[in-house]
Amino acid sequence: MTLPMDALLIELTAAVYLIAAGSLFLYLFRGNVASRLPAALLLAGFAVHSVALSRLFVSQGFAAVALMGDALLFNSWLMVGIYLLIHLKYRLTVLGGIIAPLAFLMTFAAVAVNHGATEVPPGFQTFWLPLHVTLAFLGNAVFALAFGVSLIYLLQERHLKHKKLTLVMKRFPPLESLDRLNYKLLMWGFPLMTLGILTGSLWAGIHWGDYWSWDPRQISSAIVWLLYGTLLHGRITAGLRGKKAALLTMVGFCVVLGYFLWGDAIFPSRHGGRFE
Amino acid sequence: MQKQIVIVGLNHRTAPIDVRESVAFENSYVAEALTRLHGYPSILEGVILSTCNRVEVIGAAAEESSALSEIASFLAAQKAQRHAAALDEHIYTYRGADAVRHLFRVAASLDSMVVGEPQILGQLKQYYDAAQRAGTVGAVLHRLFHRSFSVAKRVRSETGIGSGAVSVSSVAVDLAKRIFDRFDDKTVMLIGAGKMGDLMARHLQSVGIQTLMVTNRTFERALTVAEKIQGNPIRFEDFVRYLAMCDLVIGCAGVPEVLIDAATVEKVLRERKHKTMLFLDIGDRRNFDPLINDLDNVYLYNIDDLKSVADENLQERASEAEKAEEIVREEAQSFVRWLASLEQVPTITALRQRFEEIRQREIEKSLGGNLKDLSAEQRVAVQEMTTAMVNKMLHGPISQLRKNSVNEDEDGTLYVAALRKLFNLEKP
Repeated sequence: MTLPMDALLIELTAAVYLIAAGSLFLYLFRGNVASRLPAALLLAGFAVHSVALSRLFVSQGFAAVALMGDALLFNSWLMVGIYLLIHLKYRLTVLGGIIAPLAFLMTFAAVAVNHGATEVPPGFQTFWLPLHVTLAFLGNAVFALAFGVSLIYLLQERHLKHKKLTLVMKRFPPLESLDRLNYKLLMWGFPLMTLGILTGSLWAGIHWGDYWSWDPRQISSAIVWLLYGTLLHGRITAGLRGKKAALLTMVGFCVVLGYFLWGDAIFPSRHGGRFE
Repeated sequence: MQKQIVIVGLNHRTAPIDVRESVAFENSYVAEALTRLHGYPSILEGVILSTCNRVEVIGAAAEESSALSEIASFLAAQKAQRHAAALDEHIYTYRGADAVRHLFRVAASLDSMVVGEPQILGQLKQYYDAAQRAGTVGAVLHRLFHRSFSVAKRVRSETGIGSGAVSVSSVAVDLAKRIFDRFDDKTVMLIGAGKMGDLMARHLQSVGIQTLMVTNRTFERALTVAEKIQGNPIRFEDFVRYLAMCDLVIGCAGVPEVLIDAATVEKVLRERKHKTMLFLDIGDRRNFDPLINDLDNVYLYNIDDLKSVADENLQERASEAEKAEEIVREEAQSFVRWLASLEQVPTITALRQRFEEIRQREIEKSLGGNLKDLSAEQRVAVQEMTTAMVNKMLHGPISQLRKNSVNEDEDGTLYVAALRKLFNLEKP
């Protein structure tokens, strides 16, 4: 991240994501003209993003993802990548409109918030750390998408309940597809998150000596894990679906995101990005 | 000679249905009618359009006013076979630029009873094909119709004229499509035997619904309706037990009585694990408890809700139609310009100019290059030789064009059109 070239690449990535977010409005109101534009722009952003990220890994090693700024960069890359995969199958352009601003904020922040340590202490560079980070971030990325899908669901649901069948909402997928996709994302996200917590705990056990130290990050992860676990259980056994499921998914992701961005500042933790 | 475009016809605004029917052309009879139309002396090209909302004859003629009266008598003759009342008061005529604009408006569905309905374009294509098979289409109508098809496409893609459902059944289908993503695994319950319910059920079948249940207070009535729409008849006392299987419930009983209340739906929902349900209350009287809409994963729309969406969409179409009119105006102007360019004289001039340009360019290239050592006399000889070559080559086509213009041969426009295209004279 220290090289100006890399900073430039990341800024370029953020800019393309911002344009992609803007193109959604074009898509919503002039759909015939711009139906493929948002996804194409996201793909372009993703390409630049990939170059920036691989340059980073080549110069600093994969363990660099443990740094705050690089973590954001890696996490947003996973999120956009998974979105593009989902888009291939479901053609969810509207979801791209939620992912794009999120990706913009994350990549933009990646340049801005790279405070704290600029190098990973040698002791942290083990096999467990990258594994933990990758799994946890994959989980985050999947839940970010579930958040987007839930938001779209709630918008569509609200319009239908209030009997507003506007043309713009016609571009939003039907409730049934959104709910099903939400369920699938939860089915993927929950195991990833579980593995992320387990590997993190193992790593903590190896390096800090205790597997569970009531660190604020561990507590917040546990809360979100319980929440998603309850949601998954409810979906499977009690027919918890639709609006309530969408709301719970969104709450869970807000906790994840909130903690990811500001948690360390409010509840000092020895986790993530700071190695004081 | 330049062909004039004329249109004579009547539509849903100018003529009542019985008058329209009296002049309508049956499908089997169109080819014969086209030949008869072509037999009139002024009509060089002709297409007949005949739908339930309009009957029109579109012609290309050497002389406008005689063509208009010929088409009018052609239509009157058609009517005479059945009734004798006067047609004149119902007929409209268009000529030149107005005729072009009218056809473009018809194709773009701006002149339709329900503005933006898509069927008219298909009908137009079908009648154009018939005329082509009958051999009554030439260069002008060929271009005019193809232009009108692409104007219709442009209007459809650049304006929202065709979007938004404008009838109660299609609004209901649109609504169902925003809730469900597939219909082949869905079940519909139709309660009551009102006409609207029957119609709605058919509409839903057309999008893929396969399982239908029908119930009615009088079981015999349920049996008849069930048979008509291939549904399963259910006894009225039992229908609540089957509700848990149903994703869409249509109420159309016609009695002022709440047949399903919110508490029942709550119970049903638990039984079906809160899978989404859509209730459509489309009878004259309310059959479903309005509180049903407040339950999660359930949507209740009554006939007024559906109607107001349809009305909104209709208004939306009207405002989109203004944008469409602008496109039509623009396209009509450019078509009229093309039509004017079909005159022989400007084409001959343009053709000569084109060849002369080519000759000059090539001479300059050669005299400046390989032939630069030629003497002044030799240069003059080369100039003369090339000029003679161009003149000889153009002699045939040009005299043919002049001859056509004198004879008013109807192939004239065809040749002019072809020449303009072949030698790229389209845009001067």
